[in-house]
Amino acid sequence: MLRYVARRLAEMFLALLGTSLLVFLLIHMIPGDPALLMSGLEASPEQIEQKRRELGLDRPLAIQYFGFLKGALQGDFGTSIRMGVPVLDEILDRLPYTLTIAALGTLLATLVGMVSGVLASVYHNRPGDGLVMMLALLAASTPSYWLGLMLMLVFSLWLGWLPSIGIRSSAHYVLPVLTLAGQSGGIISRMTRAAMLDVLGQDYVRAARARGETEWFVVVRHALKNALIPVISIVGLRFGNLLAGTVLVESVFAIPGVGRLLVDAVNWRDYPMIQGTMLFVAGVFVVVNTVTDILYGVADPRIRLGGAPR
Amino acid sequence: MERRHIGLCASLAIYLLGVACVSQDEGGSTNSLVFASSADATTLDPHNTTDSQSDQIIWMLYNALIRYDEDMQFVPDLAESWSVAEDEVTWTFELRSGVRFHDGAAFDAHAVKANFDRVLDPEAGHNRRSLFLPIDHVEVVDDLTVRIVTRYPFGAFEPTMAHVSAVIVSPKMAAEHGGAFGYSADATAGTGPYRVTAWRKDLELTLERNDDYWGEPGRLETIFYRPIPEAASRVIALESGDVDVITHIPPADLPRLEADPEVEITKTLSIGAQQFRFHCKREPFTDPRIRRAVAHAIDRQSIIDNLMPGMVQASTGPLTPRIRGRADLGEFPYDPDEARRLLAEAGYPDGFETTINTTPRYNMGVELAQAIAAQLAEVGIRAEIEVLEWGAIRQYWGGLLPDDCPLEIFIMGAGASSADADWGLRPIFSTQEKNENNYGYYSNAEFDELILEAMQEIDNDKRNALYRRAQEIVYLEDPGAVWLYDNFHVVGSRATVSGLTTSPLGLVTFERAAISR
Repeated sequence: MLRYVARRLAEMFLALLGTSLLVFLLIHMIPGDPALLMSGLEASPEQIEQKRRELGLDRPLAIQYFGFLKGALQGDFGTSIRMGVPVLDEILDRLPYTLTIAALGTLLATLVGMVSGVLASVYHNRPGDGLVMMLALLAASTPSYWLGLMLMLVFSLWLGWLPSIGIRSSAHYVLPVLTLAGQSGGIISRMTRAAMLDVLGQDYVRAARARGETEWFVVVRHALKNALIPVISIVGLRFGNLLAGTVLVESVFAIPGVGRLLVDAVNWRDYPMIQGTMLFVAGVFVVVNTVTDILYGVADPRIRLGGAPR
Repeated sequence: MERRHIGLCASLAIYLLGVACVSQDEGGSTNSLVFASSADATTLDPHNTTDSQSDQIIWMLYNALIRYDEDMQFVPDLAESWSVAEDEVTWTFELRSGVRFHDGAAFDAHAVKANFDRVLDPEAGHNRRSLFLPIDHVEVVDDLTVRIVTRYPFGAFEPTMAHVSAVIVSPKMAAEHGGAFGYSADATAGTGPYRVTAWRKDLELTLERNDDYWGEPGRLETIFYRPIPEAASRVIALESGDVDVITHIPPADLPRLEADPEVEITKTLSIGAQQFRFHCKREPFTDPRIRRAVAHAIDRQSIIDNLMPGMVQASTGPLTPRIRGRADLGEFPYDPDEARRLLAEAGYPDGFETTINTTPRYNMGVELAQAIAAQLAEVGIRAEIEVLEWGAIRQYWGGLLPDDCPLEIFIMGAGASSADADWGLRPIFSTQEKNENNYGYYSNAEFDELILEAMQEIDNDKRNALYRRAQEIVYLEDPGAVWLYDNFHVVGSRATVSGLTTSPLGLVTFERAAISR
């Protein structure tokens, strides 16, 4: 187990290094000059050149990259060109909003998705099953941007139950979390049902029923535990999607999270902010996936012992 | 287990609903106002500001020596009176006494000198330095008298002194914070009616009333600036009452808001206009007849009625009616026959192929290009549309040689931030080798002479006559662009809000605003 974990951690570090290099190269390849964009349309060429020097953009690319790496390893991601504040401080200020929404969204999607998926599989081929699966399909196919605006229209404007924008109180979290959970919830629901149906048809389940165990015991103790493996991988992957999904949700609900920070940074070619944020987001994504892989090891002894599948 | 899952979900739902009912917003108070623009301010340092979101907050925090009133006349602000000597370059300002900055320091002639020295300092690299280059030096005569000497008689001196970048900041704070001045709440100090008490970037900027203000105190105690980048969300937030005032309203939402009894729409003709410019050093646009042909082929009214109804009015010159020195030269006639005749005369009876470069950064930027391409096709000009992202198109407006700039007919929004013809014409249309500000390489010798002469003319009537001739050249005879329409600055507010100051500069400020419930 320890070797497994160590290997996963080493791969994690390499992935982050590769990401930072790729991001650096990409942002310097696209057209656009942060000094120009920050200087406004009425600035003179000398002022723009001076700003370029101030921002260190006239140094060779390799020097700029290694400067960033060196700083990053010491925890200094540089200063934002657009906002004039340290990149890491800004990311950490905004991280709670994004993580809370992403985590609550995952939680809601997983709970609702798994519960509805299990119910659908148990009441397989009866009307309940069809209804749940149709709702799941609708949820999975609805773009989160549109869903967010629709929820805002209904619950803020028409009913006045919830605030529309901002993140000032707990009530402000409801609509963004619902929006974010929508797509993932639908996908998890269908995945769970499929995995459950697959497992419920296995011999050992029939044997358990023959032994006289109650239906609920069979479903939870035997079926669900084995169906968990594909569901865990989906949840882990969806968390990454959720981080990306928060960009749209943060735009619609005017929440200053990490997603919007990244989009604004790209629009302004705020190189330090782009690099810092990408590294952070990639880091979170990689950590979640590593944890997921380690959870596999816990759930399925075959994986952690390195043995071949039966 | 299933029952427990269901129970868990039910309690979660009830908890969230309960929390929703209990939470309160400070909306509903008569002491504070919430304003939502489309973006956060970038800086509160007046010497670096380049966007309207920053400008309108700066006007709440600082004062200048003089400023524009609602009729675009110059009125005293921090200066009680001013005059120019016979040499036409020495301007003397008598300053108001008893004024203090928010940090407690006294406002005096030394502060004025320190401010202009700061913006003109070549080492500091402030964005707005070039605006003040006509200033030679600043002299302190005594604590309340300051003299500003220009290099030559500068006709646009007063507009420059009333520019947002000419506001006076506390020299002590500026020196203390250096390059970080204006980037956080504690790194600002002015003399204005409000001060910044908090700034969470992209979330909320809080202004509180300055009770020691030297002028008329504000009626509101607190003002919150909460940027909402999504237009649809911004409009919903206004309609639901979550915010009190918004700007940047999409044209499609305007009729609905105007019909809403709880919402009030204010429209002010602004200094901003929308146009498409030519690359004047690229065939066939080197020939003025071609450019006149393109201008004749455009049906302005149709574009306005279909794309921007209620938000703009047709241009009648290269400068909007709100700019000092502008001339009303009438709408450029929509005349496709004349267009075809000019094309034939210039040697292109079958038209030609070209590209229209546009960016969605401008309201309806892509739709405008489509409309123009369709109208040009009617006279035989086959235009392909290239949509560029802002960062990409901005690359082409930055000191390129004519051959290195691939643009042909490109979109442009312009608004002289000093509301004066000098800044509105000179940087943009005077001959330049590389396109630092003259993006389309426009070059006309007579125009250059007129602009230079007008810049150094202090007498207003003589100035206006010179500018009139210059505008005739660049608008009618040797067109530098196709001017489409002048923008209205549109502000949406709850009906409970009164006393908004909407400036033709495209800004909305709240120094006299109040809310009734």
